[in-house]
Amino acid sequence: MSALIDARTLPAGTVLTPDIAVIGGGPAGISLALALADSRLDVVLLESGGLRFDPKIQNMYRGDQEGVSYVALDGGRLRYLGGSTNHWGGWCRPLDGIDFEARDWFAHSGWPFALSEIQPYFARAQALCEAGPWLYDDADGAATDQGRALPLARGGVYTSWFQFSKTRGDVLPTHFGTRYEQDLRRAAHVSPYVHANVTALALAPDAGRIDRLEARTLSGNRFTVRPHIVVLAAGAMENARLLLASNDVMAAGVGNQNDLVGRFFADHPIPRNTATLVLFDGQLPAIYGGANVTLANGAILRAALSPRPEFMRKHGVAGSLTTIEDPAALDETGTAAVITAAEALGVDARNAKAFSLGCGLELTPDPERRLTLTGERDALGLPRLKLAMRVADADFANYRLTLVELGRQLLAAKTGMLRLNLKSRQEWLAGMDWGNHHLGTTRMSADPKSGVVDADSKVHGIANLYVAGSSVFPTYGSSNPTLNLVALTLRLADHLKKVAA
Amino acid sequence: MKTRRGTVIGLAGAGAALAAGALWRFTDVIVKHYPPTPYDDVLARLQDRAQAIRLGKAALHGLPGFTPAAAAASLRAAFGAGGLSVAATIDAVNGNLAEAGGWVLPQSVVLLSALAARVSG
Repeated sequence: MSALIDARTLPAGTVLTPDIAVIGGGPAGISLALALADSRLDVVLLESGGLRFDPKIQNMYRGDQEGVSYVALDGGRLRYLGGSTNHWGGWCRPLDGIDFEARDWFAHSGWPFALSEIQPYFARAQALCEAGPWLYDDADGAATDQGRALPLARGGVYTSWFQFSKTRGDVLPTHFGTRYEQDLRRAAHVSPYVHANVTALALAPDAGRIDRLEARTLSGNRFTVRPHIVVLAAGAMENARLLLASNDVMAAGVGNQNDLVGRFFADHPIPRNTATLVLFDGQLPAIYGGANVTLANGAILRAALSPRPEFMRKHGVAGSLTTIEDPAALDETGTAAVITAAEALGVDARNAKAFSLGCGLELTPDPERRLTLTGERDALGLPRLKLAMRVADADFANYRLTLVELGRQLLAAKTGMLRLNLKSRQEWLAGMDWGNHHLGTTRMSADPKSGVVDADSKVHGIANLYVAGSSVFPTYGSSNPTLNLVALTLRLADHLKKVAA
Repeated sequence: MKTRRGTVIGLAGAGAALAAGALWRFTDVIVKHYPPTPYDDVLARLQDRAQAIRLGKAALHGLPGFTPAAAAASLRAAFGAGGLSVAATIDAVNGNLAEAGGWVLPQSVVLLSALAARVSG
């Protein structure tokens, strides 16, 4: 078994010459390295951090921001082996087919391929995320002993399902660094480096390929990597930062000939208490509750509520996942509404109970929601980032349409009713949390004018530079990205094996 | 003696019944009384008019052009032979909804509540 290599111990002037260099040891980088381990390709994995949190290393993530209030740039991600899986919540759900479509009501939407392109990789991605047997929207039948789905009249919203990652025993969820450190050590052709910060993607003079990577440690060590293939897997913020900062040959940055790198940044807004749900019989099935349900087969589940594709098309709404959260109290008007509506519908509401709703929303792709470089530099001399964060009013308005439809289905089924709690932009933003799902800064498109990477995740115009991770998502869906980015990375691994062969 | 006691009990009972009747009819102690309106046939569909008035006050904020006569006419047409329960269910199924204080409700329920609130003064 090999060791993790501490880059601080490398002799000065070291030059590594692997087949493939993977920059970043988060879920994408680790999944890619492990997927390539069964090839004869020599892989170097370059992780900036060590095996645990270090504030000096984390400090390199600091940056500026403007616009809508957002998580500090060093607050929503972690810079050590395992990356942001070191603090993720383990929520897993595959993207839906409609997420890949070019939606005429949704500007800049669409992937260069359909969901079917990554479906073959979901089983392995699910295993890497340790999310149990693949159930998702077939879970309704498997979880019947935990309660059935809420009765909803036929309509645009249905009960959808999350599954959750776990490691071993009660440790939850899978931290990729801890979980796969030994696998990385065991992989014969994988050399994992820690404390190895890539500071420049050095282009060949013709700007057609990456010639070498310049790397440094915080202790002052410098070394060079000359790989045949480079894969950027450092997260949506750092991927953009490294491309933009590597501007000695291409003035706008590597792969930025069309001014797209860093644009279309996205996350999933998680506004709190968006609505109040009243169930006339007061019985909330356990599958919707905050305490996730664990089945005998190990699957950990939680039910949510999603808009159907046909509803999204008809009403021009985006993706969303609505969750039922905490018990809520009704005011005088709420009590009157429940009594009056229940009497009108002829149902017994004496045991009615109220619950707050939460959600994760899909944002409209926006080129002005972007990352740029600032004049301030980090400890290794790299320019820091500035985020211009924006959320369109239409994103809130669209979600209200989905909530109204849910309310209609509850009433029509005589199951319950809904109150819309947020109206003004200020109200939406006041209760806003974020998923810390960094997406979209090196978006994928077959057309170089609308994307940074092509359908194979290769940077347009650069022969040997690829990007792994959710920075390539051109449209985001509302599902949590980790499972999906791992599946996409496994697809990239297959492609790289073919290219390298 | 026995007859006299019976008479007293009977008179007392009759008095109590009269008092209860008066309380029921002429005060709001037992049952809330509402002044007659041209829309009582519609408002009679409400089981708990006091709660409907509370809801209706919230509903009126979102109904700036509300007129009782138009609302009553609309409700009479909606009720048809089926009454409020059928009308409310059909509204929900067909998506004829309105908001009252943020609550997403069948339009017939909102109109009826708003009518109750408006005529309650």
